[in-house]
Amino acid sequence: MSDLTEEQIRSALDSILERRNADTRLTTMGAGSDDLEAGRRYLANTVTDGWHVPTWPAQHGGRNASASQNALIGSVLREFIVPDLYPFAIGLGMVGPALLTHGNDSQQEEWLKAIASGTSIWCQMFSEPEAGSDLANVALQAKLDGDEWVIEGQKTWTSRAMWADWAICLARTDPAQPKHKGLTMFAMPMSIPGVEVRPLMQMNRDAHFSEVFVEEARLNDQWRIGDVGEGWRVAMTVLAHERAGGGSRGGGDGSTRGAHIPSWIKDLQALPTEQTAIWDDAVMGLYSHDAVSRWTTQRAADEARSSGSPGPAGSGAKLRTVKSYKGRAYLANQSSGAYGMLEDGHGYIELMTAPSMSIRGGTDEIQRNILGERVLGLPGEPRLDRDVPWKESRRGLI
Amino acid sequence: MSEISEVDPLITETADRLFSQICDHESVQNAEVTGEATEIWKAFAETGFPWISISEEFGGSGGTLLDALEVLRLVGYHAAPIPAAETGILGGWLLSSSGQQLPEGVVTVLPSGSENLLVARTGDRLTLTGRGLRVPWARTAEIIVVPVEVDDQTFVASVQPGDCQITPMTNMAGEPRDTVDFNEVEAFAAPVPSDVNLRSFRFRGALSRTALMAGAIEKMSQLTVSYTNDRVQFGRPVAKFQAVQQHLVWGAQDAALARMAAESAAREANRGSGAFEIAAAKLIANQAAARATKACHQAHGAMGMTQEYPLHHLSRRLWSWRKEYGGDAEWSEWLGRIAISQGADGLYPLITGGSGVLR
Ligand SMILES: Cc1cc2nc3c(=O)[nH]c(=O)nc-3n(C[C@H](O)[C@H](O)[C@H](O)COP(=O)(O)OP(=O)(O)OC[C@H]3O[C@@H](n4cnc5c(N)ncnc54)[C@H](O)[C@@H]3O)c2cc1C
Repeated sequence: MSDLTEEQIRSALDSILERRNADTRLTTMGAGSDDLEAGRRYLANTVTDGWHVPTWPAQHGGRNASASQNALIGSVLREFIVPDLYPFAIGLGMVGPALLTHGNDSQQEEWLKAIASGTSIWCQMFSEPEAGSDLANVALQAKLDGDEWVIEGQKTWTSRAMWADWAICLARTDPAQPKHKGLTMFAMPMSIPGVEVRPLMQMNRDAHFSEVFVEEARLNDQWRIGDVGEGWRVAMTVLAHERAGGGSRGGGDGSTRGAHIPSWIKDLQALPTEQTAIWDDAVMGLYSHDAVSRWTTQRAADEARSSGSPGPAGSGAKLRTVKSYKGRAYLANQSSGAYGMLEDGHGYIELMTAPSMSIRGGTDEIQRNILGERVLGLPGEPRLDRDVPWKESRRGLI
Repeated sequence: MSEISEVDPLITETADRLFSQICDHESVQNAEVTGEATEIWKAFAETGFPWISISEEFGGSGGTLLDALEVLRLVGYHAAPIPAAETGILGGWLLSSSGQQLPEGVVTVLPSGSENLLVARTGDRLTLTGRGLRVPWARTAEIIVVPVEVDDQTFVASVQPGDCQITPMTNMAGEPRDTVDFNEVEAFAAPVPSDVNLRSFRFRGALSRTALMAGAIEKMSQLTVSYTNDRVQFGRPVAKFQAVQQHLVWGAQDAALARMAAESAAREANRGSGAFEIAAAKLIANQAAARATKACHQAHGAMGMTQEYPLHHLSRRLWSWRKEYGGDAEWSEWLGRIAISQGADGLYPLITGGSGVLR
């Protein structure tokens, strides 16, 4: 497809989407809303011409767009109402791109279009009770039995598990190998026998993440993503896309170009707080941080798309985006005065969600470790378990 | 009255033991659903703790304000979902100061005084019209205390909750902060001595929150130290990572800071003054709460975000209390005005001498 001009993109989108105006508010990722239908409708609408995932191949729901065309589409898309795509974010932002790198033809054929069109929802079954930051410590086991894998174990904090049709699931296939080496990645249908989802209540009373118990679930070998023993590499691709902002589109609130007061500032202005010089200072500090955050995220995302393998820039982007989010949540709550102590006070959901932002998708500390080691070349953390068989290192001898 | 400036150790011990027994995770969680914690309140009330520092003459338990604040610190420490401050050093104080007897049960008080009310007086009766916002536990109170100013005189009105329309609302911690509508509600009211007024009530409210907050931050810090020592990742307790230790240090520093500030405010208030210390302590507690909740949540990872783990009982209370009886801006401005009025040479004496200098 040859590149379109901004006007052409806008008029094409005009025929299928509604314009945003200054009063359109964006929702908080996955907080409060259980609406799957709005996102489904939007994706079904945009998939024909590949507007939501422009860089994907056209036959899989994209439009073979170049990085620059993609960026242009992204910025025009911000002028339109895009519903909360939280339920679809793993598929669109993480699994899809990882499949383009590690999936075979028939897997791409089977899964990508369904993701892009909103017909299938994916969740990410990585974390386990003993494998949080230390993700390579996963214990959920996959054993080959004929041409099937038998899965046994437990995952936790699995967001969207209760909606998901599929999970991307990191499993241990060879406990005799050191921890990073004995892992393999699978796609797992959530509806097969042996998979049980138990929602966990969060402190904001959302129940959007779950424990997933797997007992003798059988997976066809054609659902294995990448080679046996290559699971860590696939996981890193998935995580890098998550951090590069793949999970959501860009940072900030999608302001359009030109002089324009973003909706979050308008919301703040409507609050009862006196707008002193100190308040202005805080707002403008956030506004500039937000802008840099958006550019950093964009750069990381472009880099990821053009190289196909996102680098540590995504960690920098994630740190910034998170700081923006938290900063806004705290300022909104501060500005709302005593009213903000109430459960239905302005910014309540954002405040309750804020602490999780620097935890999910890899904690701030882990992002900084990555930046320190991979960008600055600082000495790595001692990794005493690197060459020890996992079945020994997991006993905690170190 | 008393020059005693130490907390009675028996109070600390007994209150701590009591709350350890009755305030478990489940009962605190349950109170959020039902909007009250009847069992906890009953056990608490049986000891007479809610009424410490209120004279026995008016149905109180006697004792010092210092002791009462120590109990509040433990209420905060255990995240006890009960109107301890409202019944005692706020509502109880206003009632007894105006010569009124305390009822047996829960008392609450309109936190913002009369600012949203139209008040008319006929003798010892007031007629109130308007709306009280964020009134703690109004739905279970026996009396709603309303301090008002009429004709340059402060009165304390005892309103029967049945005469009002109460709309249940909750704060971020799931504790009742109800909306109370007064529609020409008549109530008995009595005047108070001149040192009891809306201003001193505001300070006393702030003082109650500093005690609660100091307790909650301390518990949060302890919880975080113990969790990170148990939680193993990369083959060792995460507390061994320096990045995590930084969070632990922030939590511990803020706990110490908030407690020190709250105690010095309590001592000064116990002597009958303490405006400067209270203002400073509330601001310190507010800021410490913001930092410490961040640090402690971060050190817990995903576990701290779940309902089944108790960190949020403390962090959500702190976020709410931070806004009650004066947020950061209110107390910063008050302190700033005082500091400026002392002039450059007066600043250091103000910092070291506190309210003593202002008298
Ligand atoms: C809202 C939410 C949604 C989530 N959704 C998903 C999901 O869909 N799928 C999924 O697989 N997972 C999900 N997670 C889990 C998330 O990926 C983990 O919480 C995260 O990786 C951190 O692991 P942990 O919670 O076990 O914290 P821990 O690893 O126990 O960390 C505790 C503390 O120790 C610090 N720490 C640990 N190791 C180091 C180190 N080497 N150096 C310095 N500091 C260190 C951490 O930074 C943190 O501060 C979700 C989490 C949340 C909060």
